[in-house]
Amino acid sequence: MSQPLSKNAFLPGKSKVALFYVVLILATLFWLTPVITLILTALKDAGDFAVNGAFSFPKSIRWVNFSEAWETGVKNYFWNSVIVTSFKVPIGIVLESMAAFALTHMHFRWADRVFTYILIGLIVPMQMTLVPLTLLMNALNLIDTLTGLTILYIGFGVPFGVLVMRGFFRTVPVAIIEAARIDGCSWFRIFYRIALPLALPAVVSLCILDGVATWNEFILAQIFLRSDELRTLPLGLVQFSTQFSTQYDQLAAAVLISVVPIVLVFLFFQRYFVAGMGGAVK
Amino acid sequence: MASEKTATLAPRTSKSAKASDDSLRFLPWLFLAPALVIYSVVVVYPMVYSAYLSLFRWDGVSPTKVYVGLENYGILLTQNDVFWIALKNNAIWLVAALLLPTSVGLGLAILLNSKFRGSHIFRSVFYFPSVLSLAVVGLIWTWIYHPDLGLLNQVLSAAGLKAFTHNWLSDPNIALYPVIIAATWNAVGLPMLLYLAGLQTIPEELLEAAKVEGAGPIRRFLYITFPMLRETTLVVLAITAINALKAYDIIYAMTNGGPANRTQLLSTWMYFLTYNYNQVGLGTAIAVVLFSLTLIFAIPYIRFMTRKT
Repeated sequence: MSQPLSKNAFLPGKSKVALFYVVLILATLFWLTPVITLILTALKDAGDFAVNGAFSFPKSIRWVNFSEAWETGVKNYFWNSVIVTSFKVPIGIVLESMAAFALTHMHFRWADRVFTYILIGLIVPMQMTLVPLTLLMNALNLIDTLTGLTILYIGFGVPFGVLVMRGFFRTVPVAIIEAARIDGCSWFRIFYRIALPLALPAVVSLCILDGVATWNEFILAQIFLRSDELRTLPLGLVQFSTQFSTQYDQLAAAVLISVVPIVLVFLFFQRYFVAGMGGAVK
Repeated sequence: MASEKTATLAPRTSKSAKASDDSLRFLPWLFLAPALVIYSVVVVYPMVYSAYLSLFRWDGVSPTKVYVGLENYGILLTQNDVFWIALKNNAIWLVAALLLPTSVGLGLAILLNSKFRGSHIFRSVFYFPSVLSLAVVGLIWTWIYHPDLGLLNQVLSAAGLKAFTHNWLSDPNIALYPVIIAATWNAVGLPMLLYLAGLQTIPEELLEAAKVEGAGPIRRFLYITFPMLRETTLVVLAITAINALKAYDIIYAMTNGGPANRTQLLSTWMYFLTYNYNQVGLGTAIAVVLFSLTLIFAIPYIRFMTRKT
């Protein structure tokens, strides 16, 4: 109604909307160019790539790239990533939410100081810990084991997990907790029967953000995994790219395989990404 | 006896201050213990020990470490050229990270904030690169920059700009910038998400009122939207800066510090010194420098996160 104020008022409404969408769709395509390149490369054979480059339609679609990449080693990398992620995420969330609960609802007088202490972990560059961790893992015989890597991931996950869970626990009304206390409910029961169920959306958000972060982690895997059969996906892919530097087709297929689980999680749980990040800034 | 103090430190409580019996004093520690123990062992103790190790000359293997005081820092500052290259690269990276992903993220957030048909799909598209691992992002962009077969050079040639084609990642003078572009592609999602959340908190009536008063879109942005996003902007800048200083994987995947160490960052150079050249003292000293740089941005951020508690 107050259209005359708008600069584009001379354009009729409909064509303005159309123009808006055209610009947006072009920007989208531009933004996704790397992904499109990846998909096109994964579908063509190496000869086609060498002649026509990455950004052209495949002469013939070569699905066998995927099975070849899978058999060349991606299978191992994939399952290693699955193992590490599926142990790290649930264990981490139990520890983090217990800690966050203590910091928000248990009238804990050190809460602020402990929370600040935990936040330091969010900012510390990994390089600051590598040498002592190498010595420690060596002493414990945990170098080159998925167990050792998982333990490190759990430790490094604590700050972000506590931050997110604390953000959500703070929104749980104190009255509910107090009422349960007065009814004689123990703190452990309050935690897992009241607070945790109420924070379920936060738990889901954290599972997803944490799962993606674990799936993508590179530097700790690079330092603490030595043998090829134990590598996780990001590490395995970079190694794959240096060993088979000319087999772009298989490398692209391998990258695509590693990305598919992330894409699925992203498509199905998008809103939890937003919610989780929101919890982290609250 | 502790009831007064408990009440002041936990203002939300009322009656339960009475219930703060002895069990309450150690029970929170019990809830915290598993997380605190593993976090302290894996993150905090190694940090402190790294700072200590930076005062020694040590190859990482031999049983004796030689205490040298601050000599490692002196060596870095005076004799280690790559340290200065890395420091300069970190500075360039930091400036780029504070400008590019933040402003693109803000622009996208404003564009996609209004609810129109498909706005959710567009948000997902622009956020998508952020869920990819930096190793994968690096690999994908390496193809785009491929000298013969890469999309970038192909497009330039096709557009008649063959003179501008480059061997992007092998030219020591420019190799850092293509990597920064690739990192930006990945880094835009988070500022966009945070700004979208921030925009939700601006009351619609305020903008409507300004519109009625005759303020155009630019003035509305400059005088209402942007000032009201101040807090979000602070968080965005802090997080982007901290993340920028953590950059490592993408360098490793795209240039491995080369050509001729011209794309080393402090993070990658620390790795080279420690694990390839067994200079543990120098490596940990670099880590300490990197951490100190991070603190510049992190201290205000942590202050902000622990406010009003």
